[in-house]
Amino acid sequence: MITIEGFQAAFKFWMLFRDGLICTLCLSALTVLFGFILALFVALARMSKFWPLKALATVYVEVLRATPMLVQLFIVYYVLLAGVQLPTFRLFGIIPFERFFPGVIALSLNSAAYLSEIIRSGIQSIDLGQTEAARSLGMTQFQTMRFIILPQAIKNILPAIANEFVTIIKESSICYTIGVQELMFAANSVKTAIYSMGEPAIIAACVYFCLTFPTSKIIAYFERRMRRGDKR
Amino acid sequence: MATSDKLIQVQDLCKHYNHGALHALDGVTVDVNKGDVMVVIGPSGSGKSTFLRSLNLLETPTSGSILFDGVDITKKKYKDETGKTVKLNIDIHRQKMGMVFQHFNLFPHMTILDNMTLAPIQVKHMSKGLAEEKAKGLLARVGLEDRAAAYPIQLSGGQKQRIAIVRALMMEPEVMLFDEPTSALDPEMVGEVLSVMKELAQAGMTMVVVTHEMGFAREVGNRVLFMADGKLLEQGPPEQIFGNPVHPRLKDFLSKVL
Ligand SMILES: Nc1ncnc2c1ncn2[C@@H]1O[C@H](COP(=O)(O)OP(=O)(O)O)[C@@H](O)[C@H]1O
Ligand SMILES: [Mg+2]
Repeated sequence: MITIEGFQAAFKFWMLFRDGLICTLCLSALTVLFGFILALFVALARMSKFWPLKALATVYVEVLRATPMLVQLFIVYYVLLAGVQLPTFRLFGIIPFERFFPGVIALSLNSAAYLSEIIRSGIQSIDLGQTEAARSLGMTQFQTMRFIILPQAIKNILPAIANEFVTIIKESSICYTIGVQELMFAANSVKTAIYSMGEPAIIAACVYFCLTFPTSKIIAYFERRMRRGDKR
Repeated sequence: MATSDKLIQVQDLCKHYNHGALHALDGVTVDVNKGDVMVVIGPSGSGKSTFLRSLNLLETPTSGSILFDGVDITKKKYKDETGKTVKLNIDIHRQKMGMVFQHFNLFPHMTILDNMTLAPIQVKHMSKGLAEEKAKGLLARVGLEDRAAAYPIQLSGGQKQRIAIVRALMMEPEVMLFDEPTSALDPEMVGEVLSVMKELAQAGMTMVVVTHEMGFAREVGNRVLFMADGKLLEQGPPEQIFGNPVHPRLKDFLSKVL
């Protein structure tokens, strides 16, 4: 049962939610950063003419998109990083690194698979004439990518990347299962203290909503403005 | 004519598509001499673009050879002056061949000035100041000195194509390749682009021009090639091609376009 008293009791632990929020934001931001860098290489590898590289990248993308995020998280935490002695300090004095780090890795590996497809479609949407013009001026393949293709592609896919950020904010909640003290973990801790899960869960839901809803609206606004700019 | 006057020597060039079912280029042999203004004409689908784009390897020929400054650029390796075998770097050869496209292909995310200076700075390691000075000089030559800070989207088609021409000239190419440079333009803008090309020809630039502008071919060209079905069917000075055509396909083509 959800009661006013229950919410009052839960709000006494507001600093747990605050720390959880900080952790969720760090988790999501680092995931987008690492995920994007990795995705860039995966996207380029998938477009490579060198077939083993292309095959490797394709397998990577397909496997990560075809298996549940939770399974990937467990494999990273209990298999890949099981033998690795991670430093045990606390980020900002609150986030235990040895759990946070595997969470970031798992989320990054997963979102890189999705982001790489976004980047690839962004690159492929740029007119071939751009590449031909750059190459006819004597620019190398790398220079063409760096100065001509990527700046245009990234501008086009910025809204999609921002939407991926929103998705990651929500998905990061599963890191609670390996003990990362993010928002859901905070909600669960409050449950133990007040003997009720309903109120903390609703508070967590509100915080997620306040993070993601305005973000999506802002993205949609910039997307509309950017499209208008292109037609000028 | 001495070999040193031959800038590009095309030998039996073939380009096949669909596993050989389509011969876009079917054994083209021709020399481009320094100072030539070579105009390529022919019906649509005759292989004009494929021929032009093969010259700087935007298309990889199926067979045949292209000697540029004496080096076969269709091979991965070649022997230099000292007889040493070195790997061919196509980017270096492309720097010497400017190319102008039907659809301009300006870089939309950069100003006109940046469009022009990017390759000289990045590829030739020219200083920014020098590159910008050179760009402004060229912009003045085509009457667009006041558009340096503009973006391509703010220009008319004719202006875009003039920018595309001077962007290619920034690299100081030995030859300029034009693929239907006026076909995407509104009729009133064709003249301004053709006059820039004419000035370039008069300044002694070697040019290979694919075009449907027969007036330009007649007036500016010193050689005209007629292509059909991937073959070079007839070539000669404009007076001969337009005044005294021999091949029935050429006669037929001219009766339709003139
Ligand atoms: N990438 C391609 N794949 C298949 N066929 C092509 C390709 N590019 C050109 N062709 C074909 O080659 C022939 C010559 O084309 P093109 O050189 O563009 O002719 P033109 O420029 O004279 O109009 C045409 O039949 C065209 O359909
Ligand atoms: Mg063509």
